[in-house]
Amino acid sequence: MKVAREDLHVLTGSYVLDALTSSEREDFERHLHHCPSCQAEVRGLRETAARLAMAKSSRPPARMESAVLAATYRTRQLPPLPGERAARNLQRVRSSRLFSGPERVRASRLFAGLRGTGRRESGLRLPAPRSNAQRSNSRRWTQMPRLAGAVAVASVAAAVGLGITQISTQHQLDTVQASNAAITRVVQAPDARIEKKATADGTVTVVFSSQRDAAVITTSKLTSLPSGRVYQLWVMSSAGARSAGLVSQPDQASQVLAAGVRSGDKIGMTVEPAGGTSTPTTAPVLVMPLAT
Amino acid sequence: MHYMNRPEIRERRPDPGPSEGEGQDLALLLAYVARGDHKAFEVVYGELAGPVYGMVKQILRDPAQSEEVAQEVLLEVWRTASRFDPAKGSPAAWALTMAHRRAVDRVRSENASSRREQKVAGEDIIEGDSVAELVEASLDRQRVNRCLDSLTELQRESIKLAYYGGYSYPEVSQLLSIPLGTVKTRIRDGLIRMRDCMGVNW
Repeated sequence: MKVAREDLHVLTGSYVLDALTSSEREDFERHLHHCPSCQAEVRGLRETAARLAMAKSSRPPARMESAVLAATYRTRQLPPLPGERAARNLQRVRSSRLFSGPERVRASRLFAGLRGTGRRESGLRLPAPRSNAQRSNSRRWTQMPRLAGAVAVASVAAAVGLGITQISTQHQLDTVQASNAAITRVVQAPDARIEKKATADGTVTVVFSSQRDAAVITTSKLTSLPSGRVYQLWVMSSAGARSAGLVSQPDQASQVLAAGVRSGDKIGMTVEPAGGTSTPTTAPVLVMPLAT
Repeated sequence: MHYMNRPEIRERRPDPGPSEGEGQDLALLLAYVARGDHKAFEVVYGELAGPVYGMVKQILRDPAQSEEVAQEVLLEVWRTASRFDPAKGSPAAWALTMAHRRAVDRVRSENASSRREQKVAGEDIIEGDSVAELVEASLDRQRVNRCLDSLTELQRESIKLAYYGGYSYPEVSQLLSIPLGTVKTRIRDGLIRMRDCMGVNW
């Protein structure tokens, strides 16, 4: 008896991945009803599988939306299960997950309720302490962003200390009008690395591909500036700082493609007079070293 | 209940209505969908359509079939919204569980499987996505790939074949030439490792 139940417990993974044969699936579902530990494991593994699915997210054809929306008008919905589950759910949702910070990343909404997710890569928020001592893998994982954050802070200090003003003037201000196709090539390059940094001034994400010698800098929700001031992005290397372009819409998501970027360079952002300057005139509000 | 202690949670306030932009939560939106709110469903669609379609296409490969199945799944979200229970998981996991199950059912009916074999597994070309979406998807991919890399080869291959390939574990066992029992344990151990690596904590 005991052996058989342990056998069934091993099936949690295959059950979640829909890899069981239909008769085994039924057996397992019967077992699941009175096995709270299996239920808990299935929940966690389902969320995990959902992450695997998210990684394959792909935009459906536009016609699908109108087809589905139209179909909802012809489709009667199921009533809630007996009991007050729906009402209770709503209550629970409201009291727990509803009004979280507006800066939450879009996709994180899909996983409302997940704690200590890898999305904390911003490096600014420490993951909740793990209750389970076995989760050493995960701990190692969450430490990386923290280190990255520390490095970035150190770099800001270094950049300020070096005195940005001595950086060469030979570089013209050239705002690269990046086409979407060029940006896509960088973002989808096989070696593309992503760094994300959220600060009080907003969120900056840099996708860097060494193969393409380019970086896509995405900014969002930057603090609005007084009129006559703009955010300017820079590629900073040992040779100096070169403009990567101006942030066109500080309050929204905006992208700049920087060409000729090499590993070891840094991406910096300064506040400059309208129109931008050829060299940075203020200390950077943000510096991001590129992954090597 | 530790949610209550999180500083970013504001006081409960009166019914905000589903059209209130930022801070909306998919789980809450589903409660509105359950009451027949089409506007709430549009938002839910916007969040779930990409993952659902991507998942289904990963398994079926054929874009036309994938579109058909993804449509069924999204309509199922509408139809069964009242049955969504936030205590049992996230809305994404709920919808993607349905998506995966349906795609696999489709594959396992003979008809589809023979058609599927004619399709070449090409690289996904993401067209028309906004850069923000691309970056978001790349972040997900990067994280998942890093965690997949931390698995043993057998764990990784078993999970990929079962989840992304839609193969049953006896099929995985044949493809990898390993015993049935081994596949079951590799899939479970590998998924548990993925869960811990990605910090999933349900």
